[in-house]
Amino acid sequence: MEEELIQIKNSAVSLILEAEGLKTLEHLRLQFLGRSGRLTLEIKDIAKLPIEKRPEVGRLANEVKKAIEDTIANQELRIRQLTDQESGIKKQKIDVTAPGIRPNIGHLHPMTQVLYEVIDIFKLLGFQVADGPEIEADYYNFEALNIPKYHPARDVQQTLYLDTRKSKVAPGETILRTQTSNMQIRVMEKSTPPLRIIVPGKVFRYEQTDASHGFEFWQFEGLMVDTNITFTDLQGVLDYFVKKFFGEETRIKFTSHNFPFTEPSLEGYISCTVCKGKGCRFCKFSGWVEALGGGMIHPKVLENVKIDSFKYQGFAFGTGLSRLVTLRYQMDDLRLLTNPDLRILTQF
Amino acid sequence: MTLSIMLAPLSWLKDYVDITLSPKQLGERLTEVGLATEKITKVDSDIIFEFEITPNRPDLLSILGIAREIAAIQNKKINLKSYEIKIPKKTTLPIKLNPNHKLFHRWTGISIENISIKPSPQWMQNRLIKIGLRPISNIIDITNYVMFELGVPLHAFDYDEIKGRQMTVEQAIGGEKFTSVDQKSYHLPKDAIIIKDSERIIDLAGIKGGLNSGISDDTKNVFLHVTIDDPILIRRASIALSLRSDASAIYERGTDKGGTLKTLARATQLVLEMAGGRVASEVYDLKKEAFKPWKLNLRLSRLKQILGITIPEKKVTGILNSLNLSPVILSKRSASKDPMRSFANAQDDIIECTIPTYRNDIKIDEDLIEEVARLYGYNNFPKTIPLGQIPTKQIPYFKDYRLEEKAKNILKSSGFSESYTYSLISEKDLVEAGWKTENVLRVDNPVSREFEYLRPTLKINLLKAYLQNKPNFKDINIFELGKVYLGKNIDEAKEVYFLSGITNTKNFFEVKGILERLFEELGSKEGPTEFIEILNEGIIFEINYSEIIKKVNLQKKFISLPKYPPIIEDLAIVASGKVNTKELMDEIKKQSSIITDVSLLDQFEETRTFHIMYQHKDRNLTTEEVAKIRSKILKVLKEKFNAMPK
Repeated sequence: MEEELIQIKNSAVSLILEAEGLKTLEHLRLQFLGRSGRLTLEIKDIAKLPIEKRPEVGRLANEVKKAIEDTIANQELRIRQLTDQESGIKKQKIDVTAPGIRPNIGHLHPMTQVLYEVIDIFKLLGFQVADGPEIEADYYNFEALNIPKYHPARDVQQTLYLDTRKSKVAPGETILRTQTSNMQIRVMEKSTPPLRIIVPGKVFRYEQTDASHGFEFWQFEGLMVDTNITFTDLQGVLDYFVKKFFGEETRIKFTSHNFPFTEPSLEGYISCTVCKGKGCRFCKFSGWVEALGGGMIHPKVLENVKIDSFKYQGFAFGTGLSRLVTLRYQMDDLRLLTNPDLRILTQF
Repeated sequence: MTLSIMLAPLSWLKDYVDITLSPKQLGERLTEVGLATEKITKVDSDIIFEFEITPNRPDLLSILGIAREIAAIQNKKINLKSYEIKIPKKTTLPIKLNPNHKLFHRWTGISIENISIKPSPQWMQNRLIKIGLRPISNIIDITNYVMFELGVPLHAFDYDEIKGRQMTVEQAIGGEKFTSVDQKSYHLPKDAIIIKDSERIIDLAGIKGGLNSGISDDTKNVFLHVTIDDPILIRRASIALSLRSDASAIYERGTDKGGTLKTLARATQLVLEMAGGRVASEVYDLKKEAFKPWKLNLRLSRLKQILGITIPEKKVTGILNSLNLSPVILSKRSASKDPMRSFANAQDDIIECTIPTYRNDIKIDEDLIEEVARLYGYNNFPKTIPLGQIPTKQIPYFKDYRLEEKAKNILKSSGFSESYTYSLISEKDLVEAGWKTENVLRVDNPVSREFEYLRPTLKINLLKAYLQNKPNFKDINIFELGKVYLGKNIDEAKEVYFLSGITNTKNFFEVKGILERLFEELGSKEGPTEFIEILNEGIIFEINYSEIIKKVNLQKKFISLPKYPPIIEDLAIVASGKVNTKELMDEIKKQSSIITDVSLLDQFEETRTFHIMYQHKDRNLTTEEVAKIRSKILKVLKEKFNAMPK
């Protein structure tokens, strides 16, 4: 009996799905579910079964009935929609060149999009991301990085100091970090090489704002320490990064520079993202734009975090994440990035 | 106030070195070796270079220093002139100098009598103008000229104004009044280095000379001195006074301690030449030690270890020679015998260098390695990808950005656009939002009143963003995930990520639903109701994102699909509006473990219709079973909430 029920279901479903008109459908309904329909008759026969088998077969019969009813209902809907559409097309032409109706989806900030891209690139090289404090001790931001108090290098990073009244902290010792390099020290002092880290984050400077300067902006830096990390590795990693980020055709060149926490130090320039190096207003007609700084970690910095500078060496580099964003999208003003104008935000 | 700029005329540089490169090539090459050429301008028949000098190189704040770099890149010799001072048998203008070597590491001086003050010659005036200075008169012009030529600051006093013919160097107590040569008055900061004669303060050392002892048109006799001032004390005083001078910029970086005699001789020669007169004292030279060039060894194995390439020994010594570092190859030892260095390398010669006193930035091996590398040319290095193992341990301060991305994407797909706003906000905005400023962290030296306090919430900036966008947009949905700064003072300061959003297109339940979905996605059990605030024109919400992700649970486990069909029924209940829907739903759910889902299907006046799913994972349900549970539900709802079936 169960087999018959299933057969009825199968044949009903396949016939119903093939039905193309409402009339055929009604006919099929009668044929299976009508007063003397095949299923109806079969159900009547259940009473003839031994009593212990009845509930199980009964349930099956109910399922079959529901399946057939559902299939008919669905098919009816489809047939109706189809005929509506056909008559619709006949009645009115639709202009397929009109814009589509878009779902309401927002936009991620360009900084976020660039940041996630940068993280992805460095993840491939085995880097992990660190995140840490912006309210920072002078020690982590400067001293441990070989920039003692009253060092002229501090001129480049004018500092915002926190109000220390009502606290036990000595004035002048707590600042808003001027660079993400504080995290070099924080991570290194709590771990051992090999290390590959990147640190994105907000930094603060006592600086008047203009198109290319801000008192708040985003940096991003990397650090690699092992027994055998060399200056050519630093160049190779930076080259890899700019090619992945700005495109394979991007060229990079280096100049010597001075940072107190690296020796030797370098600055990296990339071929202009606007004119591809031909020279334009964006690159002041030089064909190159300044993109990053870095160097081999100064032995003193390693010693400050108790890493043996004979055994281990490494590099550190950094760049303005805000700058990468403006370079990527050819934006001429850093302040656009902190402006919540939807006319800007919805472009990305 | 940020970086030091040095102007250098090509004609002046040519006094010291032959220049074969074109100005453009020269600028590019100098930039490559670290002397950033910012601008090259043509002035009359001359070329002026504008350089940005890094803080480690006091020597480059001079024409001679720049000429030395040019000599090094062109592999040429510097044309050094030497000057001698002839000391007379009879000293007519002696002076008593009372040194303090902690303040002046070196103090070199001389008296010259019977000079005449007049304008300096035209050629000198022209050169001073080209480097941005204003010519004044011969003696003052000479001190400026020689400072910029040789990179060591010097000062001229009117000898007859030095009371008691004596000078004492000491530190200010703080608060003393001082009037500088340019007739400005200052209250001296504590510990500033000052020079006193027998009666008064006559010099704010390293920063500005005093009016009372300065050169005037009537000066007949001068005392010229070259001092090496303590860099930290000079910097502290000049920061305290907000007063930077060309001299203080050099002093801060650490001046050439071996260069005072040469500087004094050059200045004396120019004074005698342009102002006449006669040397009238011995050459005073008070110093704690000899300040001789020092030795520093460079290991070729270390060079290779750091740089990653082998530079031939001959090339290395060639570079060191061009920088006047006098390289001498000391020994050839086997690296394995050297216990200090673990790297085994055949190339392990040691090159001993002698560091001239004007290169006080060269202190360790790595400094010499940098010298070799920069002149070798950074762009001649191959680019390599690091070898070695990828670290497997999770680092301290690790942040999983995938979570943040998840959260942001949910808001984005719900229609919100992301903003980044400033962490620093104004007192006005805080107060308007109902905050007390004493409860908020503050910056001591804000760039302006607009950016004085660290935001304790993202809502203030979001409300401003909403108002800013109103004129241009009907529908506004903005969110930000950023840090806020909590605590009343630094001891309590805490940085926390908040996630906040504002909308005028979504109602309470839509916002609640978005947050429920967000919490679910992050595996949080939290309910979002308390974080949502209804405004006049829309909805704003703010959640403590850091708190949510602390309890994050991303583990998911597959539950196999049910083998037995569910029984689904809709139950319409009439209950007072005072009864919360959540309470009713929770109560229904509690009545049996086979109720797998309860949801609110419809609500009309006092009737709420619930959609209830009964399902057993191991067997089919009978209508009798379900009927039993249903009556249990109705009984409980009646008892607890006086709710009736409709």
